[in-house]
Amino acid sequence: MGPTRGSGGGVVLEPDPVIEAYKKDVDRTLLRENLKRSVEERLRDLMRLQRFADEWRRAARRAFD
Amino acid sequence: MIDIETALRVLAGAGVEFIVVGGVAARAHGSARLTNDLDVLYRRTPENVARLAAALEPHTPYLRGAPPGLPFRLDPETIRRGLNFTLTSRFGDIDLLGEITGGGGYEAVAAHSTIVAAFGLEVRCLDLDLLIQVKRAAGRPKDLEGIAELEALLEERERLGG
Repeated sequence: MGPTRGSGGGVVLEPDPVIEAYKKDVDRTLLRENLKRSVEERLRDLMRLQRFADEWRRAARRAFD
Repeated sequence: MIDIETALRVLAGAGVEFIVVGGVAARAHGSARLTNDLDVLYRRTPENVARLAAALEPHTPYLRGAPPGLPFRLDPETIRRGLNFTLTSRFGDIDLLGEITGGGGYEAVAAHSTIVAAFGLEVRCLDLDLLIQVKRAAGRPKDLEGIAELEALLEERERLGG
């Protein structure tokens, strides 16, 4: 089941069956790896991923236009 | 796409009071999901609104998705008359939010934010608990996978004792 209380202690998160179902597909290995990184590393990774996704979009546009 | 480092430098360098929310906040907490814009909750005091407008003005903010050539100017009056703005700029797409569903305004949310260090800056970021709560409150089907990931992240973090 999901958390019933947030780590901050102030926010109650009642388990939602739909979210619990989605949770089964979450790649926790990836999350564990991310948790080992600093915030800056996580944000730099995001910017790299954005550039990569953007390049793919442009390549797809060139291919189909 | 957003150059997060530049955007944060522009805002923090101008002394703007803001909290990073949305996908970039999720990513800062360890999410693996892709987001293409930066959502910030800004404090709606006259002084902060003036700082925000002055900080963004050199970066040509413009309404995202609007046809070119509209007489749009992001000045303090525009921000005061509006609340939430979805913008493009020289450093990428940025959403300026005066309030967030399920969280409220800057003052209410600040208590549920955490200071994170990145790019030599210290930036306020929505904490993971409230991030989950506001995404749940938004009630958008497209967020379900993201919420599941954030809750898994919370569980993993608690498992690690953090």
